[in-house]
Amino acid sequence: MIETFRLHQLLRETVSAPYRCLVTRPTGAAIRSRIEEALADSACITALLDFAEVEVIDFSCADEVIAKLVLAQHTSSGPYVVLQGLTEPQLEAVEHVLNHRRLAVAALREQPARPALLGCADDDTRQAFTTLCEDGATDPDSLASRIGWSRERAAAALEMLTSLRLARFLDGTVRPVPVP
Amino acid sequence: MTRIIEIPQSFDDRTFDQFAGMFGDWPPQERLLFDARGAQWASPYGLIAMLTAAQALSEAGAERPLFTAPLNDEVKRYWARTGFFRHAADFFEIHGRIPKAAEGPSDTLLDVTPIRAMDDVHKVVGDVPERAAKILQDQLNIRASETMRFSMALSEACQNIVEHSGTGGWVAVQAYTWRRRLGKRVVVIAVSDGGIGFRRSLEPAHAKRYGERWGDGAALEAGLIQNVSRFRDPGRGQGIASIKRSVDHWNGKISIRSGTARLAIVPPWDDDAPLAEHLPFFPGAQVQITIPAKDAPA
Repeated sequence: MIETFRLHQLLRETVSAPYRCLVTRPTGAAIRSRIEEALADSACITALLDFAEVEVIDFSCADEVIAKLVLAQHTSSGPYVVLQGLTEPQLEAVEHVLNHRRLAVAALREQPARPALLGCADDDTRQAFTTLCEDGATDPDSLASRIGWSRERAAAALEMLTSLRLARFLDGTVRPVPVP
Repeated sequence: MTRIIEIPQSFDDRTFDQFAGMFGDWPPQERLLFDARGAQWASPYGLIAMLTAAQALSEAGAERPLFTAPLNDEVKRYWARTGFFRHAADFFEIHGRIPKAAEGPSDTLLDVTPIRAMDDVHKVVGDVPERAAKILQDQLNIRASETMRFSMALSEACQNIVEHSGTGGWVAVQAYTWRRRLGKRVVVIAVSDGGIGFRRSLEPAHAKRYGERWGDGAALEAGLIQNVSRFRDPGRGQGIASIKRSVDHWNGKISIRSGTARLAIVPPWDDDAPLAEHLPFFPGAQVQITIPAKDAPA
């Protein structure tokens, strides 16, 4: 189950002025708080943050909305956070705040259609993520044979994916986070 | 007794220290007269410096300063168009005829604007993109897609006032030609407040580490170079870091003056000293971000 949060709409409900800019820490904190309240009553697996119609997102706001939300969901084993609708300059800002806190998140982009990994992850984790998104559920043996890695290397990469909450472990396999 | 603060004929970041040096001990005990009669030009930095000083005087409980307007009509009209006089009337007793602010196109990207709360930051950033895109593209050969980077830098610079100064401040953004210094069009973002400054903001969390070196210069180094913040949250301090990255991307310059020091990240085209200390005291922090035009593609 996926619950979608339209940031533009949340912004309009949070700030009285009709702007499309996600800026300032207090604004970011207020929006995150609304998302967390909604998630507390939700049984969703994926919290999809949709940035369509957002013009600007600054570092402070990105840190409050995205990085702190991802951190909180890590701590509470809450829903997986996925982003969509970010423009190239916005991706750059988001990537920066995630890197700074050593976090990572999946982001849906129009081209390519598959999710991209944003933030702090090594090459093996990135390759495992790409393969997982292409092939679906996997385990260390399957991944190792698919990429030509040792089983240990594949297992370490999948473990990193689940610990970063870029994938979930279910019924003995590692699976992609549900996305639309 | 009245102390005369003579506004430099050409008032920008380079003549700011001359201006700051006229106040003596802060806050001055005498009534002040800001004499702008001989002023021929002021950058956004100069305009908001005057308002910062007047606001800081007001907050220090000083008598309302006097202000004599420039004699040059063109200068007066230009200052009026930027919104300077509209705000100055709140802090100064103004002498001299002031023209009404003219409407119509100008190279002012953002008028002199007070920043007192986060809502002001939303308004500034929300109002700027369309105009910024046009000026960046037409005058600086910077792609319109860079507008978000510009808006982010503006947002972070303004937020610092609300988050760290302990008071309100001012912002102004303008495009003009630096004939002597660069021979190019530039966009200048000027942000200023008369608050507690970098040293007092960072002192509780960071002074110990610097020991006897601690002062305005060390505080600027901590904030601008090491990206430290007074908050313990590890996500803090990234605002200035992000501004620096954008400035580097544009081959621009950032300079911050606070208290008695000024620290700049100086690009190859400028000959400013990276660090200047023991300058005349001026309250708060004054930031200037300069974005030069890119050379047009051949």
